[in-house]
Amino acid sequence: MRRYFLAAVVFFLGAGLLPGPAREAGAAISLEKCTLCHGKPEFRKLLVDGHIRELYVTADSLKGSVHEKKACTDCHFDVAEIPHRERPKRVACTHCHFKGNKEGAPQSDNVLAYFDSAHGQAIARGNPKAPLCQDCHGSHGINKAKTADSKVSRFHVAETCGRCHMEIYAQYKTSIHGVMLAKGIGDVPSCPGCHGEHRIFKHTDPQSSVFATKVSEQCSKCHSSIAIMSKFGIDVEPAATYKESFHGVASQFGSRTVANCSSCHGIHDIRPPDDPLSMVNPKNVPATCGKCHPGASANFAVGKMHVDAKKKDSGIIYWTATFFKWLTIGTMLALIVHIFLDMYGRTRRLRGEQ
Amino acid sequence: MSRADLASGQVIRMSLLFRVQHLVLTVLLLILAVTGFSLMYHDNALAQAIIRLEGGVHNRGIVHRIAAVLLMANVAHHLFYMLLSREGKREFQDLIIGRRDIDDFLQSLRYNIGAAAEYPLFGKYGYKEKFQYWGASVGTVLISITGFMLWAEEFSMRLFPKFVLDLALVVHGYQGLLAFVILFFWHLYNVHLHPSVFPMNPSWITGKVSAEWLRREHPLEYEKLKEEGLL
Repeated sequence: MRRYFLAAVVFFLGAGLLPGPAREAGAAISLEKCTLCHGKPEFRKLLVDGHIRELYVTADSLKGSVHEKKACTDCHFDVAEIPHRERPKRVACTHCHFKGNKEGAPQSDNVLAYFDSAHGQAIARGNPKAPLCQDCHGSHGINKAKTADSKVSRFHVAETCGRCHMEIYAQYKTSIHGVMLAKGIGDVPSCPGCHGEHRIFKHTDPQSSVFATKVSEQCSKCHSSIAIMSKFGIDVEPAATYKESFHGVASQFGSRTVANCSSCHGIHDIRPPDDPLSMVNPKNVPATCGKCHPGASANFAVGKMHVDAKKKDSGIIYWTATFFKWLTIGTMLALIVHIFLDMYGRTRRLRGEQ
Repeated sequence: MSRADLASGQVIRMSLLFRVQHLVLTVLLLILAVTGFSLMYHDNALAQAIIRLEGGVHNRGIVHRIAAVLLMANVAHHLFYMLLSREGKREFQDLIIGRRDIDDFLQSLRYNIGAAAEYPLFGKYGYKEKFQYWGASVGTVLISITGFMLWAEEFSMRLFPKFVLDLALVVHGYQGLLAFVILFFWHLYNVHLHPSVFPMNPSWITGKVSAEWLRREHPLEYEKLKEEGLL
């Protein structure tokens, strides 16, 4: 059927228009020629694995995108003959987007960053499922991240990542961050908020922004900011008290096994403490602590977790610390006074002896 | 006391065992202070350098706990020795704090500000030595309690609510600081900076002090030794 169709196209175009080997590729093939076939809604290909590849493209496909003024062969530059003898290759964005290009295409090191990332490395190893630029940024409807309907915009990027990372996306959507994002609140992190944009690495890679020792720093970017947290009535104290705790100190000195924020609060499934599914809901705290400290009792979960000994609302801990502080200062002063009195008395004694 | 000692006017003040116990105590307290305060003041650049020197927080903890266990062993050995040996029992008698020490302390204060005519006469151990001795001994036992609670954190988490452990952490740190302050302003003065011993009372190394020093600073002990015919 397809063969017949292509044959018809070839007939329609006429043999004279077929590009020969000596012919210049690119510029010669106009949009009209492409849409002769690609402009038909039913133009699609059934793949071996049963998937259908839609090949429908019209003059409107690029409309509104950053590439509005480009022609098909600007990107599909390997298409030199119609019908294509070989399947056209996937588009390589670096054809234009490299530093010092003359096209005026935006240039940055993002491409290089991508090649270093987990995705770029997977591509380099030949993983056919790993994403190229167009898998995240879109093929024809590419827009800047700041444009609301861009595939990598604040509100859409999680869905874009979720096309491959489905389970994580499902977790994220029901987490507090995902729920808030769905409500249109742009302050919450979507995937790149924690993982970075092009510099995405596996969490086990020390370069990753979510490597065990970097997690608290990542969360603190927002959770230690009064400007952001005050909008939602969330305390910024935990970010600071964590740093002062045993866990935080060990983490700062490079321990990978010690608890970081997500060890207790969850990773993609972070929920507020009053949510019964939250890992830090008082009901779940013993189990959460028990992951590392087996046998942590329900009794242990009682009371405040993030404690600052310098703040009055820490109760007995504050008062004990204050008591010891003044005891130490008082002892120090008393001892200094004693030294001076003792020296003074000694000079009297020496004088008396003479 | 050998004949040579007597001829040169030397009196034994610390026996070899006490000197060893004191040296062990000194070394262990220094290790505990360095490893402990570097964690307590981890924001400080010097503290961070020390922790790196010790091989990170994990190794720091191991060093701290080894030193702590050795210190407790030292204290336990000292306790048994003081209660059971002949020399220990005698020393212990000298170290018991009584009504007399409080009176001595108050009288020395009065004398120092010029309100009393006589400076108190001390035995082998005056109020300064007794305060130091009991402060160190009781302090070590107390700081060990909070130390054990934090060390056996899984056991503690089974028994106590979290605030008890937070409390133990705060108290442990401040106990250490208090001990350090006392060592610094009391012991340093009494055995190093005090004009009668400056720059150092040698007895912790040689075990001996001069009879003349004893007569000035611990006259009752001097008299006692004289009565016993040891001087």
